[in-house]
Amino acid sequence: MTLDKGPRRILSRLVSARAATCSVVLSFVLSGAAYPKDAEQSASTDQLQAKIAYCENCHGVAAQGFHGYYPIPRLAGQQPEYIKNQLQAFIEHRRTNNIMFNVAHVLSATLLDGLTENFQKLNPKPLTSPAPEDLIAAGKKIYEEGIEKSDVPPCAGCHGPDAKGNDQFPRLAGQLSDYIFNKLTNWSKERGQNPANPDTSTIMAPIAHSLTEQQIKAVAAYLNQLE
Amino acid sequence: MKFFGSHSFQLVGVVGLQLALVAIALTVADRVHGAERSAMHEGNVPAKLAYCEDCHGPSGQGFHGYFPIPRLAGQQTAYLKNQLEAFVEHRRTNNIMFNVAHSLSPGMISALADDFHAFVPPPLGGGARHLVPTGEKIFQNGVPEANVAACAACHGPNAQGGGEIPRLAGQLPDYVFNKLINWSRERGQIPSKPDTSAVMSPVAHSLTRPQVEAVAAYLSYLK
Repeated sequence: MTLDKGPRRILSRLVSARAATCSVVLSFVLSGAAYPKDAEQSASTDQLQAKIAYCENCHGVAAQGFHGYYPIPRLAGQQPEYIKNQLQAFIEHRRTNNIMFNVAHVLSATLLDGLTENFQKLNPKPLTSPAPEDLIAAGKKIYEEGIEKSDVPPCAGCHGPDAKGNDQFPRLAGQLSDYIFNKLTNWSKERGQNPANPDTSTIMAPIAHSLTEQQIKAVAAYLNQLE
Repeated sequence: MKFFGSHSFQLVGVVGLQLALVAIALTVADRVHGAERSAMHEGNVPAKLAYCEDCHGPSGQGFHGYFPIPRLAGQQTAYLKNQLEAFVEHRRTNNIMFNVAHSLSPGMISALADDFHAFVPPPLGGGARHLVPTGEKIFQNGVPEANVAACAACHGPNAQGGGEIPRLAGQLPDYVFNKLINWSRERGQIPSKPDTSAVMSPVAHSLTRPQVEAVAAYLSYLK
């Protein structure tokens, strides 16, 4: 199996990644602190590029997403505020994910700015999974009209008519369909895990609960192919 | 010339034609009966399996030859097929495996991959026991400060792999060590034809030797 442009980008970043890795480790050792002090230190380009390459190792070429053991979500074109909220949720264990906890808790605020700005600008084609046309059509209907009898509002109301999101509302366009399926199905098992500290994930809980499995599959199929 | 005009010749012709028709019918019938039958027809699968096991160990559990020869038992079929293709195209460097791979038909490869995937011998183990907890930590959490992704994200929490992503559970520790240390010297050898091995290059480069040893030790005992 051969790939084209993406891995070459990864490979070309390797040279700077190796140097950056050494400088990152050294800066942590010298600073003696768990988090670098943001006011005094802006993330160097090398450091940022190395971190981007690391994210893309799992999140895919140009952060298009990747089918690892788990479906690993698309970050390309994602709203910076949403990414920052999720990373914070991982750190505080309000959102359950051991791998992302480990990723998130070493990121400085300035590195976060650089990362989220970078991901927002990426625009690879969606990483699509095959889906029947009628399922996609059913998903489009749910996305645009909601499901009145189950009190499910139209997704477009918050996520936008083109599913590109806004501020804290995430982009859904081009997201991996199995990722969307997993998240909606497991919403309350993974998010808002600290009842004493409720967060923005609460908005989605009733919606995730009210959607049937088939409806979730339909919405996921529709969103997956949206550019 | 008498023979050619004779009834005997015509008889031979008719019988020959009938035999040919029967042979064609049997071949068509076999194609209709599925992959296992066509694999059997393309070669002797049990014999080829025994040949693989000669180096890769009983049930493909792995073997410490001059080189550590990897466990194939439980391996993902898509991964096995990709690697055999890579050997044939010299994208992955290994003279012995090039010779093994380039004489295998697609039907044979499918049959062998299915067989190895189904084997479940216990792991050979052998990794340094005291390194296992460190290896587990790296495998499950990655090394975020060094930009090393968590292995579990792609290889799964039990290192079983999936699709094109290989199983690592129960792999020979010296094999894992060698492959990670030598990753870019052996894989992706045709720059104009980058392949799935590219995804592992940053990981292999960023891990230190002690970290590679630890991960290899951890994996060697996984069932």
